[in-house]
Order: sequence, then structure tokens, then C-alpha cells
Amino acid sequence: MNSATLKDPEVKTASPLQPAAATPGSTLRVAVVEDDLSQAELLSHWLELAGHHCHHYDRGEGLMRALDQESFDVLVLDWNLPDISGVDVLKRIRASRQASLPILFVTARNREDDVVMALRQGADDYMVKPVRRLELIARLEAIARRGKHQNDQPEVLELDVYRVDCQTRTVTREQRPVELTAKDFDLSVLFLRNVGRLLSRGHIRESVWGPNAVVTSRTLDTHVSRIRNKLGLTPENGWRLAAVYRYGYRLEQLDTAIPRTPRNSAL
Amino acid sequence: MRGLIGAGPEHTAHESALPALTVSIEKDLEVLVQRFLARKREDLGSARIALAAGDYETIRRIGHDLKGAGEGFGFPELSAFGAALEGAAIARNERALGEQLTAVEQFLSRLRVTFR
Repeated sequence: MNSATLKDPEVKTASPLQPAAATPGSTLRVAVVEDDLSQAELLSHWLELAGHHCHHYDRGEGLMRALDQESFDVLVLDWNLPDISGVDVLKRIRASRQASLPILFVTARNREDDVVMALRQGADDYMVKPVRRLELIARLEAIARRGKHQNDQPEVLELDVYRVDCQTRTVTREQRPVELTAKDFDLSVLFLRNVGRLLSRGHIRESVWGPNAVVTSRTLDTHVSRIRNKLGLTPENGWRLAAVYRYGYRLEQLDTAIPRTPRNSAL
Repeated sequence: MRGLIGAGPEHTAHESALPALTVSIEKDLEVLVQRFLARKREDLGSARIALAAGDYETIRRIGHDLKGAGEGFGFPELSAFGAALEGAAIARNERALGEQLTAVEQFLSRLRVTFR
């Protein structure tokens, strides 16, 4: 609808665009920083049509506060914000623990030196408004893919002693099947696809239970504990599924397995 | 016609003078388009007040937002008007701003949106 054409001097018809369907496991958690409410609503609508989850912030500081407790797969960032500039947001993120967050600039600033500056400061891509819907989605999914996040992941994931088949929804450990509930399977896939990445509780909830589910912290912790035990994600096996206080969890693959001792047995 | 958005009662004088411009947009955007057009009409009022006060920065921002969002909603003319407003505000060209605001008002007064 962003490329309306004149069929008649007085009657215009927006060009038909096919909705971009999400493939299983391809849902992205997207943060959008945009102070123009109409623009934000439109971007959110497009993202949701494509099967992604959108979180809107109308100020740069609002996003920075959220990033203390939340993780996202990709960020859509406007340049001109009422409090701090998008470039300053970009610099702060690149200097933070979320430095690898893929960032797509979407701004009406179209000067070449603006584009160059944003890219040199660490933006992954840059689009000038008005943006086209399918192109926006494609670019966003591309930078998320380059960031090795969830999008377009293979159906079969092999990692160390684990083999995850998303088609049959089965997991084996050292070629032996591991019994998992549906949610525990989804949670296992999320962690195994994001090894080394810190995932917020909100991100985990949304990815596994969906954006509207009410899931307590205790429930989430119980599921995490269960997959830690069932998959053996412990230091003596060369893995650590660690809780990060007031934030979430990170699955780490250790360089060497750490023998089990009374001091680390709780990890 | 079902799902049709008109220009609003304040624009009836223009309606009789100029032919309507009908735009057809996907049904799923109906609520968003209604809100968008309502906000832009409010912005035009704010821009007129700002022009009278010599507040070019407010008009520049309004033009900038219009430039960025108009085409996405299916109104490329509004993006073009927004760019012109932004440029005229940066140039502090009062006459051009007045003309551009009138042009946007006339466009909105002619606009008829149908949803399919």
C-alpha cells in the first residue's frame, strides 16, 4: 500500500501486496523506536502481519531502560527522537552487553553523509522513509539472519552431543532420545539456537508461550530447571545454563567440562 | 459507501469546489488510516498556528513526519507535501509554507478513502 498508483486521474488503488507469512520458528522479537505514533502503528502492523512480535518505544531512553531487562532479535531505530538521537542510541547499544543486537535504521534523513555515519557507527542497515512494507520486512529478517538469531534456522540442529529435529520435535542426547514436553522442547530449541546469547525472561516467555500468555517467573524457572536436568546442561558436561539476576538466562558451552564438585553442583 | 472516510464537516466548502480524489486501501488498514488522517488534520491546525507565530521548527517537524509516513499509508502525495513543508520550514520561507499548507488542506478536503 505504500506504492499507490493512479489508475484514473481521480481514482487511485493501492498496489496489492502479499502478506509475508512466518515460517515455524522464524518469529522475531522486534523493538521499534519511533516517536511518530502513526508511523509506529504502521510498522507494528506490518511486522505483526509478517508473524513477528513488535515492542514499541517512543523515546530512546525508554528503549535503553527496557534493554536493562529485555532482549530483542532486531531493533528498528528512528534517527530523530525527542530525547536523544538515534545515533546516540546506536552508540550506547554498541558499547553495552547487547552490542551484537542487529539494528536497522528507518529514518526520513536521506543525505548520503547521514547514511554513511549511521553505518559507520554500527548500524546493520539503513532505510529512508517512506519505506516499502515487503522491503522493510525482508531487510529486517536479513539482518536478523546475519546476526545468527532465530530466523530461517535449519530443521535439524546438531550441537555437541545434541541433535534437535524440529520437524519431528525430538531431541537426542548422545543418540538417546530425551523425553520433553512441548514447551520444554520449544525452550530447548530456543536456548540451543542462541548459545552464548543472554535472553531476557520476556523474550523467553514470548518465544515459547506467545505474546499474550501469562507465565509466572516460577513457571519459567521450573521449565528451565527441567531442561537443564533432562539435557544435562551442566558444567560437568561442558555446558552451563546460567540464570542472570533480574534479567533472564544464558546457555553457554564451556571450553572444557568442569568436574562436578559440591561447589558447582548447583549450576 | 461502506468503510468510506470523508474529509470532515470543516471541509465542505472545498468539496463543492474541487472533485473528490478516491483512494482504495486494504481493509486491514482502516483503523490505522482513520487515525493517521485525523492526526494529520490536527497537525495542519498546529502548523497554521506555528506559522502565525513564526515557529518554523514545529512546521519542520510536522513536515518531516508527514514525509515519512504518508506514502506508507497509501498517500504518496502527502509524503511529497511533507517534504515540501520541511524544506520550506528549513528555508524559513513563510510564503511557500502558506501555499504548501493550503495545498495539503485542499488535498485532504478532496480525499475519499474506501477500504476493500
